[in-house]
Amino acid sequence: MIEVQRAGLCDLVMDLGRPGRGALGVPAGGAADPAALAAANRLVGNDAVAAGLEITLSGPMLRFPAGGVAALTGARFAATRSSGAAVTWNETLVLAAGETLSLGQAQEGCRCWLALRGGLAVPQVMVSRSTLLPAGFGGHLGRALQAGDALPCEPGAGEVRLLRAHPPSGEPDALLRVVAGPQVSLFDDAGLAAFFTGTYRVDASSDRRGLRLAGPAVTHARVELASQGVLPGAVQVPPDGRPIILGWDGPVTGGYPVIAGVISADLPRLAQLRPGDAVRFVTIELATARELAAAQWEFEELG
Amino acid sequence: MQSSEKKPNPRVKPKSGQPTALAAWRWVSDRGLRVATGDATLARYADLLSRKLPEIEDVIPTDGSLLLILRRGASISAELSAALADPLAATPKTSGTLHDIAVEYGGLAGPDLPALAERAGMDVQTFIYRHAAVEYTVAFLGFQPGFPYLHGLPEALHAPRRASPRVRVAAGSVAIGGAYCGIYPAGGPAGWHIIGRTAAVLFDPARQAPALLMPGDRVRFVPE
Repeated sequence: MIEVQRAGLCDLVMDLGRPGRGALGVPAGGAADPAALAAANRLVGNDAVAAGLEITLSGPMLRFPAGGVAALTGARFAATRSSGAAVTWNETLVLAAGETLSLGQAQEGCRCWLALRGGLAVPQVMVSRSTLLPAGFGGHLGRALQAGDALPCEPGAGEVRLLRAHPPSGEPDALLRVVAGPQVSLFDDAGLAAFFTGTYRVDASSDRRGLRLAGPAVTHARVELASQGVLPGAVQVPPDGRPIILGWDGPVTGGYPVIAGVISADLPRLAQLRPGDAVRFVTIELATARELAAAQWEFEELG
Repeated sequence: MQSSEKKPNPRVKPKSGQPTALAAWRWVSDRGLRVATGDATLARYADLLSRKLPEIEDVIPTDGSLLLILRRGASISAELSAALADPLAATPKTSGTLHDIAVEYGGLAGPDLPALAERAGMDVQTFIYRHAAVEYTVAFLGFQPGFPYLHGLPEALHAPRRASPRVRVAAGSVAIGGAYCGIYPAGGPAGWHIIGRTAAVLFDPARQAPALLMPGDRVRFVPE
């Protein structure tokens, strides 16, 4: 059980999402960096599919009446424990009964994931515990956590092992790798040059539905396109020329031309972009993108 | 710009029921494969699902194309290539369930109705009559969970999307966007013209079948 004493900016219950329902208009959703949530789950002895919290930019204060075993992965946030013990990332944390864990602002990046031993026991909706905020279902009552919420945990099984995780080393630069999109031929030379040489800033209106970018306008032919299936990472360009990278909870269909698609290997980096961050795009071969395996987390037992 | 995708020939249009050439494949990032399917979209969709191919995570049908989302790291198997090349019959026109949807037209429920009727050069009652006189077919769902894109809107009632979207419309709002009619399952921003509202629950994730309307279903609007 956890008690929310103070809510963060947008604390969402997430698991690995509900893929396979696009025909109903339902996006797969789930943790923005599924490998980071899975790693946090492993640190507390859970299956990768257990539900945890996805915490964005500014975190909550949580109380553990009966104590618990927790782990944090992803972006570092300012964090304190009422016991005075240090809050380390990528490690198994054992919390005493009545202890509080207080997260402040993200110090770099945008999102972190908190796993709790047993996993959060919110009801499954369409086989997932992930919150789908735009549709208002899943997670805890279909919404972000609020002060006063109490979330039960499933009982943990097996012994607690103290582990440390090593995230894959990423290149923390502004370059996102993309493959050319299905409507790239609709863009004129000026539009393509703007998109592939320009530097964009992540707009404050960005959320899990999409990252809106401010920067050089991407001009294109104004044609009425039939709506087509899209997926996270697809870069749509509306008539105003300001690109939108579709996010995890974005619509499954879209009628704007898609100039490019952020490759799967770089989607976890989208999870860490915050308003004001710079973004540039570079194309790589589709075949190369398809060969890039998901970066692996490594684990060691703490002595 | 380099891309290993095959450039499609824009003059080649897939004919209904005929196999579409590889040229009709386009990638949307490295996991999304868009396949032009013409009039056979729903038949192709049903055929692909029935094959239960392990590399496919999801298939999203839209008007004239399917988006296949491949599992991370999976590639296109010979079975999938063969499946996409198999000839199919075009989707039958009158297959799905027929739904009667009761609609309160105009007033607060349909704030854009007077302007749309004026644009169409008819009075409001005539517009409602013409909207409710035809049978619609669900082409696909998208935009929001359970949002149906309906075919069959009489051409005189077509209207381009609003220049500026409404910040919030009510759940159940019946709307016109271009050549489509649609129904907003949940409240939220909306770029289409709102002509009425239904009390029908278009999407309920707790139902056995969460979406009330499925691709291929037919819809009649009944003025309240």
